[in-house]
Amino acid sequence: MVEATPSGAGPAPIRGEGTVVSNRVEAGANHRLLLRIPGWPGFAPGQFAMLSPGARGAVPRSDPLLPRPMAVYRQHPANGAPQVEILYKRVGRGTGLLAEASPGQRVGVVGPLGRPFAAPEPGERALLVAGGTGIASVYELARRLAGRARVLLGARGVDDLMGLDDFAALGAELRIATEDGSRGFAGRVTALLEEALAEPGPARVFACGPTAMLRRCAELARARGTPCVAALENHMACGFGVCLGCAAPLRAGGFALVCCEGPVFDAERIAWERLP
Amino acid sequence: MSPVDTTVELGGLRLRNPVLTASGTFGYGSEFAPFLDLRRLGGFVAKSLTLEPRVGNPPPRIAEAPSGMLNAISLENVGVEAFVSEKLPALPEGVTIVGSVFETEIDRYAEVCKRLTGVPRVAALEINASCPHVESGGIEFGQDPRVLAQLVRAVRCATSLPLWIKLSPNVTSVAEMARVCEGEGADAVSLINSVQALEVDVETRRPVLANGLGGLSGPAIRPIALRMVWQAHRAVSIPVCGMGGIETPEDAVKFLLCGASAVQVGTSNYLDPAVSGRVAEGLEAWAERHGVARLADLVGALEPW
Repeated sequence: MVEATPSGAGPAPIRGEGTVVSNRVEAGANHRLLLRIPGWPGFAPGQFAMLSPGARGAVPRSDPLLPRPMAVYRQHPANGAPQVEILYKRVGRGTGLLAEASPGQRVGVVGPLGRPFAAPEPGERALLVAGGTGIASVYELARRLAGRARVLLGARGVDDLMGLDDFAALGAELRIATEDGSRGFAGRVTALLEEALAEPGPARVFACGPTAMLRRCAELARARGTPCVAALENHMACGFGVCLGCAAPLRAGGFALVCCEGPVFDAERIAWERLP
Repeated sequence: MSPVDTTVELGGLRLRNPVLTASGTFGYGSEFAPFLDLRRLGGFVAKSLTLEPRVGNPPPRIAEAPSGMLNAISLENVGVEAFVSEKLPALPEGVTIVGSVFETEIDRYAEVCKRLTGVPRVAALEINASCPHVESGGIEFGQDPRVLAQLVRAVRCATSLPLWIKLSPNVTSVAEMARVCEGEGADAVSLINSVQALEVDVETRRPVLANGLGGLSGPAIRPIALRMVWQAHRAVSIPVCGMGGIETPEDAVKFLLCGASAVQVGTSNYLDPAVSGRVAEGLEAWAERHGVARLADLVGALEPW
């Protein structure tokens, strides 16, 4: 059965404490974290959570100070508290700390946050394009759309393709691009998008990945007159609209907060050339 | 009922407890509704308001620093009119709301103060004196005692509300600045604002922030803040509201001991949107454990060696 796809917003967020169920290297620098989070209210595709490894309380961790925004990959019904899965890449001190969290340890959680992906219109082909860590942001959308979606995943090499087996198990049409040619098409995932856009019929692009990739997706979609939405991955301190650190520049002037007006935006709204 | 009297007097206001949240870290309050009952707090200081809506700096606007963060948002806000008509009505009754005012010229500061005076539910005004003053060549209002005196005089004339002046730490003598505020009729001083700072990306050889300079906040600045609160407390007889890197009830106790009558929780709100409520309740529990009957008794009770 196909679940209802989301429209406006996801569930109201909680400030909770997750307990690490498992936390493993998936491949290369990519990790897979499973958290048991009492009170977790569920989430909608494209939403994220702020994760803060280490107990906060009497003796808070102050370095590194800030929590890290992470896409919610998927959740599992479990006996007792819901379990939430996060795929992340170890890149710096924050994700390094997360990578060192062992089963039983606590992780502060604020989420789910942000406005989710809206469902495609009836009759539209859903083209999901994701690169690098952006892959984690589109899994739930791919799962809910199942056979209606074509999923295009790109990364530097096969080890960077997080969640690949999960995507393959969905039954969606799946195409892969790696820059080093270690899996699928040798080149950028945007080349696969260009091919897909050339096919006849209405379509809608759902993208998440590095800025350069998103910008190219927006250009390709615009050239075809195809709607394109993009989930941004800006740095942020809070995730719920008060630090104002995650501002994305808009073509119309001014800024939009990625945390609460996004992370999913109509790609036409974003001034890509001014997004760091 | 707790045996501890948590109420404090701060610059013309009686607060149910001495824990507020700091301007710029707490939005307009309603952002915290999913996480925290604002009535657990002594009050909150809303995001600084300008006469007109203000758009902030280009990104990157924030960056992490050791035990802290840098920001250069440039006081993006909805403007005083939208605050009054849209933001205030969204807040529950029973919350003590302090308006924060920020402008680029003295008469505009005074105008924002006038617009907020008489607005139901605005209990006090805090003047953010850390804005660069164009007429003084970009130096902050709060960095020149003569300019600060002019500013405080003007806003004092513009409002009958309790008036708090938020001081910059980027000065040689915070005691002198506090005395200027007291002399011009301020009801309290709040300190410290963020510490001017610079961080560099060695790969790009650029500052980490698009603005270049930013304000450092978080636990990294807590000992600086404690020092300045203590100096200000010794210099003036008006109350001091202390802030800078508060994360725990014990941090709040330190500020009270150094002379703060109340405290503001700032950057920690980003990490944990419920932290201010825990600081407020933890402070009460701390006092009970330590046989302190009134939190006000801790104010300035720092013991010498």
